[in-house]
Amino acid sequence: MHRIGLIARYEFLSNIRKRSFLVASIGMPIFTVIIFVIIALVAVDSETNVDRFAKVGMVDQSGVIANLAILDGTLAEGERPIEFIAFADANSARAALDASDIGAYFVLEADYYTTGRVVLVSSSGSPEALTDRLNLLLIRNLSTGIDPMLLERILDPTTRNVRDLSTGRLLPPEGIIFLVLTPIIFAAIFMIAGTTTSGYLMSGVVEEKTNRIMEILITAVTPMQLLAGKILGLGLLGLFQLVIWAVLGVVGGVLSQSLSSDVLSGFYIAPDLLALMIIYFLLGYFTLATVMAGIGAVVGSEQESRQFSGIVTLLFVVPFIAFVTFIIDPNGVVPTVLSIIPLTSPTSMIMRASFTIVPPEQLLLSLALLVAFNLLVLWVSARIFRLTLLLVGNPLSARQLLGLFRPRPVHSVLTAPTGEGSATT
Amino acid sequence: MSQNHVVTVENISKTYGDFKAVSDLSFEVYSGEIFAMLGPNGAGKSTTIRMILDILKPDNGRITVLGMPMSDKIKDRIGYLPEERGLYRGVPVLEMMVYLGMLKGMSSADARKRSLAYLEQLELADFAKKKVSELSKGMQQKVQFAVTVLHDPDLIIIDEPFSGLDPVNTLLVKKLLLDFSKRGKAVIMSTHQMPQIEEMAERLLMINRGRNALYGKVDEVRQRYAPHAVRVQGQGDWAALPSVERVEAVEQTRGEVMLYMKASATPDTLLGEIAAAPNVHIRSFELAIPSLNEIFVQVVHDQGGIPAELIKAGGKAHA
Repeated sequence: MHRIGLIARYEFLSNIRKRSFLVASIGMPIFTVIIFVIIALVAVDSETNVDRFAKVGMVDQSGVIANLAILDGTLAEGERPIEFIAFADANSARAALDASDIGAYFVLEADYYTTGRVVLVSSSGSPEALTDRLNLLLIRNLSTGIDPMLLERILDPTTRNVRDLSTGRLLPPEGIIFLVLTPIIFAAIFMIAGTTTSGYLMSGVVEEKTNRIMEILITAVTPMQLLAGKILGLGLLGLFQLVIWAVLGVVGGVLSQSLSSDVLSGFYIAPDLLALMIIYFLLGYFTLATVMAGIGAVVGSEQESRQFSGIVTLLFVVPFIAFVTFIIDPNGVVPTVLSIIPLTSPTSMIMRASFTIVPPEQLLLSLALLVAFNLLVLWVSARIFRLTLLLVGNPLSARQLLGLFRPRPVHSVLTAPTGEGSATT
Repeated sequence: MSQNHVVTVENISKTYGDFKAVSDLSFEVYSGEIFAMLGPNGAGKSTTIRMILDILKPDNGRITVLGMPMSDKIKDRIGYLPEERGLYRGVPVLEMMVYLGMLKGMSSADARKRSLAYLEQLELADFAKKKVSELSKGMQQKVQFAVTVLHDPDLIIIDEPFSGLDPVNTLLVKKLLLDFSKRGKAVIMSTHQMPQIEEMAERLLMINRGRNALYGKVDEVRQRYAPHAVRVQGQGDWAALPSVERVEAVEQTRGEVMLYMKASATPDTLLGEIAAAPNVHIRSFELAIPSLNEIFVQVVHDQGGIPAELIKAGGKAHA
């Protein structure tokens, strides 16, 4: 156990300093957050900033507005007051706008009561916040004399939560969108975190193999210890990466929250789904890592290993090709089969669990198969590790690979070294 | 130190498919000695070393190391430097040494202290914080050597210890290996460099086609293969001397010849005859003891491993 810990620590510490890791796990998210914040700032600002509308003209041909100053003193902190100025007709308001005395003007037409029609004339856009302010002014003027509590109910008669009948979950009204987003976010995080760290694992193995340090390592630790240490160390690195992202995500969330209060208000992940996501994430990572280590041990060069790893990674994303099927019929044949087969099961199961109640026996079968597959891959990878030690720089042949599965001592599948002079000297 | 058995190999065999890599091999390695293992490429040296290290299991026979069958504890007392050796390239030298030392059971502090001491001794102290990839090839080899012996192993197994080292570094590593054997450690070195064996090793094992071809003290082996001859430099009619059976020129310009003696003659009688003969003059006179190189080629040839026409050239090429 001590040696596994040593290997894990070394793998963690030596990879965390890699430039590619820093870029992938810190640089990229920070860059994304910055871009997001800039876009948000520009977009949000154009809708919420009413600074350039300090004075707004009002041509009230309907006579509904009795008090133009009714909003004074009722605005929240930080909201800039707008001074509404009455104009007798549209022409005089237009003259004031042209003279830049006012930033815009509203015209409430004579039949406003029946049509609700208002014309906004502005020289610099029409942010939503300006319309909101007019609405507020109109409501206040129209509702004089109505009990404020009654008014509150008239304006917002229900506070809703949604019960999703297919899963039985109780969601806040905006939670539905996150239900669809959750599996996509899960898959994206899984792919990025899983492939970076298991990519390190694979290139580490290829390096140790090609520079023959493996032969030295193996006199100190067993192949299984080496493999376990690597998977553990790089797994922790993957988790660390997730923590960085979570922190950055929270920071980004807080930032955008301060810009616009309702961006994340509907953010919601059902606790049972979260638990399932963690379980499948860990098992899925473990599978990916062991398979990558096995590939690293088999192939001859890093370049070659990337091609193989691409194929494996693809298997994890295959379910997304059938994304629509998952939404329409999450308990159909394709989603059910994909969520049970190891490799496709992590992403598929999370998708299904987001949209429906997965029968517990299917869930158990999927988990059991994934665990069994993990153990099998670990065993095969450890054997490949051992076998490749005996070959100097040569990739394994198909025959030797097949030999791994025969119940014979692993080294006996080696052929005579005549011609290659590699297995023995 | 008394001669304790550090490695005992008894009748081991190893077959790959139809290929017998090692067959019925037995030998012992004692504490405090430098033991040379030699043989042609593909003779089974590496397979034998891997079986000692427990990377491979023999099909038959038994191996004990440091008095016990192999275990993790025993592995920690072995230092192994394979022929094709590597290091982590992107890692600072000291950090990598400490890591590999700890994998061999050392404490972090201990590994650091000893790594620094070795780097100092190998004139690499300034490179402790540098990445391995920034080191020259010779420096990397010294680091590899330091890693092998960092945990002060009782048995050092080293494949081609001097390949790629310049003469100065060869001397440095040679001295370290001799120091180790003086401190009672056993050193097994597998090499093709016969002069190094003649100079450093007490005993040798030559493996050919997986079998024991020669085994014993280096001096005794050379005596055993000595022809009944002397090697002289000088001028004269050598064939006229009564003890001489035939003459073979070794080197024309210096007038060096090999005098093969009749069965009844001894070097003493021959020297007497030379002294008595008026028209024979010598500058040097020595018993013909073959180099290990000559013995190596001879043995491999005798066992059918080398075509006869190569033996003359090969035997004298780099003695």
